[in-house]
Amino acid sequence: MYGWIWRHLPGNAWVRAAISLVLVLAVVYVLFQYIFPWAEPLLPFGDVTVDNNGGASR
Amino acid sequence: MRAGALSLRLVLRTLSELCVTAGTLIILFVVHLLFWTGVRADRAMDGEVDRLQHSWSQSQRAHPRPSSTAGSPRPGRDAPAPPASGTYREGKAFAVMYIPRLGHGWHKPVLEGTSTGVLRRGLGHYTGTARLGATGNFSVAGHRRTYGDPFKDFPRLRPGDPVVLTDGASWYTYRIDTRPYRTLPSDVGVIDPVPARSGFTGPGRYLTLTTCDPEWGHSHRLIVWAHLDARHPVGEGKPEALNG
Repeated sequence: MYGWIWRHLPGNAWVRAAISLVLVLAVVYVLFQYIFPWAEPLLPFGDVTVDNNGGASR
Repeated sequence: MRAGALSLRLVLRTLSELCVTAGTLIILFVVHLLFWTGVRADRAMDGEVDRLQHSWSQSQRAHPRPSSTAGSPRPGRDAPAPPASGTYREGKAFAVMYIPRLGHGWHKPVLEGTSTGVLRRGLGHYTGTARLGATGNFSVAGHRRTYGDPFKDFPRLRPGDPVVLTDGASWYTYRIDTRPYRTLPSDVGVIDPVPARSGFTGPGRYLTLTTCDPEWGHSHRLIVWAHLDARHPVGEGKPEALNG
C-alpha cells in the first residue's frame, strides 16, 4: 500500500519524501479538523446533561 | 510456487500496513481527545470571556450606573448581551462562572443551551431553567473530561463552597448545599425548580451543576445543588469568596 504510493510519486527520493510529508500532514489536518470532531460525540465523554430523549446531548 | 510466495508476501505486507495505520489512527484520536480538544476549548472559552467582558465594558460606558436593578437599560447598537436583561440567545455566552474549589483562577463562560457544539465552548445553561439569580433553578452542565476538562474535580465540591457568577451587572454568590449526588442520566428531576433530592423544601433561588460520572463514562451523572447567598452590583468589586 505505502510501497505502491511511493512508487507512484514523481521525482527522486527527496522529492518523494517531501511530497509524502505533505500528504501525511494533510491527512492529519483532515482528521483533526473534520473526522475526529465528527467521531467524538459518538463516544460517551460528552454526556454531561440529564435528559429524557437524548436530544440535548448524546 | 514462487508466485504463491510473492502474493503471500503482498498480503502479509498489506495486512501489517493496515494494522500500523489503524494503530496510528487510534493514537492520533487519543491525542485529539486528551490534548487537542483542550487546546481548542481553552482558546474558545477565553474568546467567549473576552467577548463578554468587552461587551460589558462597552455597555458600562454607554450606560454608567453604579448599581443594578431588575429594570434594565437597553443598550442599543452592538452590545449583544445586555446584563441582567433580554433573552439568552442559544449558543451565546451571558455569564462567567468562578469556582475557587476547582482551582485558583478557575473561571468559565456560561452559554445558553446544552448541545454538543455549545459545550465545546463553555458551560451550558439548560434552556428553560431559571435565569441567573432568579427564583427557580439556574442549571448548568459542563464536561468532566475532554474539551478543557472544566468539571474534572467536580467530586471535590463540598457544602459551603462558593460558586460565583457575574453577568456584567451583578455578582451572584451561590453556596453549595450538598455533596456531589450520583444519579442516572434520565433523572431530569434534578433540574426542577425545587429539586426533590436536594433537601430544598420551598421555592428559592437555586443553582444546579451537572456533569458525567464516572470520569470517562456516561452511565451516571454527578449533581450538586446550591442556593443564592448574596448578590452585589459589580461596582462594589469582586465578592470576598473570590479573594480568599
